[in-house]
Amino acid sequence: MNIFAELIKYRGLITALVGRQLASRYRGSTLGFLWSFLNPLLFMLIYTLVFKYYARLDSQDNYSVYLFCGLLPWIWFNSGIIEATSSISSSGSLITKSMFPPQILPTVAIITNLVHYILSLILLFIFIFIYKIPLTEKLLALPLIIVLQLGLMYGLALFFASLNVFYRDIQHLLGNVFNLLFFLCPIIYPVTVVPEQYRFTIDFNPIALLIESYHAVLLEGRWPPLWNISVVFLFSILIYILGKNIYQKNRETFAECL
Amino acid sequence: MSIVDSKLDYAVDIFELSKSFNRSGNFSGNYTTLKSLITKPFKKNNTPNIIQTTAIKDLTIRIPRGSSVGIIGRNGSGKSTLLKLITGIYAPDHGHVKINGQVRALIELGAGFHPDFTGRENLYLAGILYGLTKKQINEKFDQIVEFAELKDFIDQPVRTYSSGMFMRLGFSLAVNTDPDILLIDEVLAVGDAGFVQKCQEKVAELRSQEKTLFMVSHDLGAIERWSDEVIWLNKGEVKDRGHPRRVIDHYREFIEKGIEDEILGKSREATQISVNAETAQPEGHEELEKFAYERWGSREIEITRTTLTNFKGEEKVLFHTGEPSVVNVYYKVNAPQKSIVFGFGINRADGLNIIGTNTLLERVETSDLSTEGVVSIVIPSTNLLTNTYYLDLAVHREDGYAYDYHKNAIKFSVQSQHDQIGVLHLQHSWQFNS
Repeated sequence: MNIFAELIKYRGLITALVGRQLASRYRGSTLGFLWSFLNPLLFMLIYTLVFKYYARLDSQDNYSVYLFCGLLPWIWFNSGIIEATSSISSSGSLITKSMFPPQILPTVAIITNLVHYILSLILLFIFIFIYKIPLTEKLLALPLIIVLQLGLMYGLALFFASLNVFYRDIQHLLGNVFNLLFFLCPIIYPVTVVPEQYRFTIDFNPIALLIESYHAVLLEGRWPPLWNISVVFLFSILIYILGKNIYQKNRETFAECL
Repeated sequence: MSIVDSKLDYAVDIFELSKSFNRSGNFSGNYTTLKSLITKPFKKNNTPNIIQTTAIKDLTIRIPRGSSVGIIGRNGSGKSTLLKLITGIYAPDHGHVKINGQVRALIELGAGFHPDFTGRENLYLAGILYGLTKKQINEKFDQIVEFAELKDFIDQPVRTYSSGMFMRLGFSLAVNTDPDILLIDEVLAVGDAGFVQKCQEKVAELRSQEKTLFMVSHDLGAIERWSDEVIWLNKGEVKDRGHPRRVIDHYREFIEKGIEDEILGKSREATQISVNAETAQPEGHEELEKFAYERWGSREIEITRTTLTNFKGEEKVLFHTGEPSVVNVYYKVNAPQKSIVFGFGINRADGLNIIGTNTLLERVETSDLSTEGVVSIVIPSTNLLTNTYYLDLAVHREDGYAYDYHKNAIKFSVQSQHDQIGVLHLQHSWQFNS
């Protein structure tokens, strides 16, 4: 079956699982859903303290909001992919003992984290309001950027989740790689501080390009640069084809390898 | 919602189906780690470490609609693999499985249930997984819960459920959502008698509606009750197929013969024959090492041969619980003795001493021995339960000085018709008064 058709067929299941995932994450905790806000907020406070006041990286206006604006999509990307990567290999009896379409699991991981992201955007808008940053019609491009990131993540998730069934090191490796990648993205620093000869670390880094686009539409009143959109799009297509092939080729052997 | 093609007369059509697994010989299982990929990049292609095991071999079975089929076979015969191939959890290496209808599989208790969620939430999730819509589940919901007898627990997290409750929930969901083909792997074993009765009625009802039942179990009794055809799988192939009673009897016979052959093969030479050849030791088999035949003593009185027979005098190493048995000790007197005690002991394969006794303890007169003869220990009813046992036989002086001592002289097995647990079958009857 075509994997998109499968996603559509099981959309009810995906919704139910996302709901279950969201509910189970904070089930039993007193603050519950507030953690979705508190978590990035605490990060923001510490990063602001360290990078603005200690490291004096204050060439950027409204540093806290800037930081928050890039941190939120990064958290979505990071948590989504990391959770998706181990989702199939840790699913246990779901795959080995029942007729369960494996790709649902990474998809659910990504969408669950997307919901968190969208909820935390509320907090970002509160900050934007407090700091009196003008919102423009360029905000209309925000859904496009989110959809682009979703597409990129879907391909990556299929790719890593499938590979991780056979090579369990992937999940550990990714955690480390992402820690490094974080610093290669304009989250804690503005793109303007990157010297020209190192610009390629941004220009060919899809997640950095996405974050730059978020900054553009949310804080700077600019349309997302065409370069950013096209590179991310091409990269997403490429990684989707790769991920889809690896998934399709191996999905029937997942149950045996778990 | 039923998707049965009524033009086709089968429910499951299995054609030349084959499936094998690669099992790597080393400890890390069949995961390739990056490390092994880097250190041994070509391992996968040329390793002698990977052992291919064939689980299903060229299997062709056609299950007509409305039949109830039981699958039996020893562990590793491919039963569960077959169910997983039918449900599509595994993909075949060769051949195909065609399904005509909606499959509901109960492969493991609570598979797909989330422990932290309530029975209600889990029913909805599992229902969606079966391809039902929310509306369809709503319609069936009360019926499912009522059948499962879980009304008071349906809003409790399923981690608080007992295994019986899990089974009831899973079974109820499966049978109450219009299955065309129901696959059951062992899970009914945990149900209480009342619920099993109810399941049986439900299955009978499904069968009257042309539904198909496919079940795998070690519980031959259940298979016989539930099936109208039994397929016996052996090493991934159909060994026999047909009327439940006949196939099950054939299977039982085969299993018993297998046990008998195993014991005869390993120990007949090792025991009876080696009594004459002094130093004969069985091959260093792990199990036999612990129960290796040993012999010591001064041989004023010698045990020349030991046998275990039935009442007809035929040598046997496999007994059914309750069958009579006779232990024969052939002796030869080399130098007449005043004090002679014959003794015997039975040890279970795990080392448990079942009995140890002798003629002195039981005050049996033994002084009048001729130069040669047989002492027989007659056991009217071998009331041991299913296991392997070892016999010790000895002749010694009252003070324990050994003339001839044979440790683990005979190995034998007992098979119980029922699956009782414990050590002994005590004579008993059940009475009901009210």
